[in-house]
Amino acid sequence: MLELRLVQGSLLKKVLESIKELVNDANFDCSSTGFSLQAMDSSHVALVALLLRSEGFEHYRCDRNTSMGMNLNNMAKMLKCAGNDDIITIKADDGSDTVTFMFESPTQDKISDFEMKLMDIDSEHLGIPEAEYHAIVKMPSSEFARICKDLSSIGDTVVISITKEGVKFSTKGDIGTANIVCRQNTSVDKPEEATVIEMNEPVSLTFALRYMNSFTKATPLSNTVTISLSNELPVVVEYKIAEMGYVRFYLAPKIEEDEEDTKPQV
Amino acid sequence: MGSKILPKWASKPCVMGIDEAGRGPVLGPMVYGCLYCSQSYLKTLSTLSFADSKTLKEEKREELFETLKLNDSIGWDVDVIDPRELSAKMLKKNKINLNEISHSSAMGLIDRVLKMGVLLTEVYIDTVGDAGKYEMKLSNSFPSIKFVVAKKADSLYPVVSGASIVAKVTRDRALREWVLDETAENMQRNFGSGYPGDPQTKSWLEDHKHHIFGFPSLVRFSWGTCNSYFKDAAEVLWESDNLDEDGGGSNNKNGKRQLKLSNVGFTTSKRSEEIESSGKGRCRFFQARKLEHLTYF
Repeated sequence: MLELRLVQGSLLKKVLESIKELVNDANFDCSSTGFSLQAMDSSHVALVALLLRSEGFEHYRCDRNTSMGMNLNNMAKMLKCAGNDDIITIKADDGSDTVTFMFESPTQDKISDFEMKLMDIDSEHLGIPEAEYHAIVKMPSSEFARICKDLSSIGDTVVISITKEGVKFSTKGDIGTANIVCRQNTSVDKPEEATVIEMNEPVSLTFALRYMNSFTKATPLSNTVTISLSNELPVVVEYKIAEMGYVRFYLAPKIEEDEEDTKPQV
Repeated sequence: MGSKILPKWASKPCVMGIDEAGRGPVLGPMVYGCLYCSQSYLKTLSTLSFADSKTLKEEKREELFETLKLNDSIGWDVDVIDPRELSAKMLKKNKINLNEISHSSAMGLIDRVLKMGVLLTEVYIDTVGDAGKYEMKLSNSFPSIKFVVAKKADSLYPVVSGASIVAKVTRDRALREWVLDETAENMQRNFGSGYPGDPQTKSWLEDHKHHIFGFPSLVRFSWGTCNSYFKDAAEVLWESDNLDEDGGGSNNKNGKRQLKLSNVGFTTSKRSEEIESSGKGRCRFFQARKLEHLTYF
């Protein structure tokens, strides 16, 4: 038996909106420690890792480790039927092929009951290698979303370069180039508006903006975003989820095509 | 490939040179050659008139190759990489570029010679790509060997000069004796040097292209050189192209190749190895018996 009760149901709604563009179907894993998900996009270039810790739920009952396959678009449609202030409860019996979402309005005068069919998804467990990141940027998530959106109107890849001076986002396309530099600023009044850069080695990596824009769908989840980079490793874009977990996006970089491949020297 | 019986000198510290022939041509194989001898023989080796194969005439190269084959104090080996293999690797979904192919070939030669029981302590090799990275890659694979990776190694080190002769003569002979798989009227063998800039090669390519089937398999059709010959050729649509486009696969239009997560250390394993089978989402029969699909045994 699985029964999870989340008072701040809007968090779950936002989570689904943030990952459904990247992944179509995924297995949600439930254990005594929490509710989690790991899935790659269809081209295996990006990965999303979600964790909602059990302590963050008002009520968390999970008798047995279980895995529920869901189509994320369908799940998002169900969660859309919950009000922003509703309490959301997720229920499933052991061995059941359906999951039930219950939405309670704050004053308990309206209770909705939605049952969704589960899928048998033959997905694989993913091993995320341990990594030490040479550069970590923490900045307002709305700023990051704005930067990705602005740059994607100019080009389709972004070069993220981190040096002592700050973090630079660059792109170029048919109509020209664009560069946006964010310097470190920790003297602002509100801590969530600061841009903080930890760097022990300069980093410069190239990524597809299409994926970056997809990640920024998670902006409503958190005021800040943390971007971790090391040369030749995937970037990690992390949004905290209140006090109960996180959603992390991993994206493989683009590398220079070796010009010697097809243009041999005479 | 030299004597099958391991000579006595091979159990003393040995030095190897590695070089390649036929990297740039659009025709024929790329050949990696190696030459090795004991450390104590190096001084004698340097008196044997080996030089960078590019500076020698063909007759001289052939003569030197025959000489070294008869020399009991020298070992040698080659890796002949077929043009079809080159093209297949360079065009496959997970592309393998020419540098990677080169690195693998060189490392394959070292491995082969080590497995024969030769005590290799030093290897000299012309650089392919970044010398520092290449050296690190080689040292990681063969920690007991000291590597010297340098530009113009074939001019600087006699063992590499010798290897360049081994590779060059092997390639020349392979090309000279090449048997064209394809049958057609007017199939000729006067293809010149095989380099894209050679007028004779260009003329041969023009005469031997086919509107639908392309080029004979002697040709490295992954070379950019080949594209211009097929402006008017029949277009072929591959089912997998759609999958690539749908999935937003490797996108080369801006000159950068998109890596996949598996290229950078992410691994996958069957989930069912870790989670009890539940038969979830399937009909009652399978659910009741907790049966699942198996994709491998």
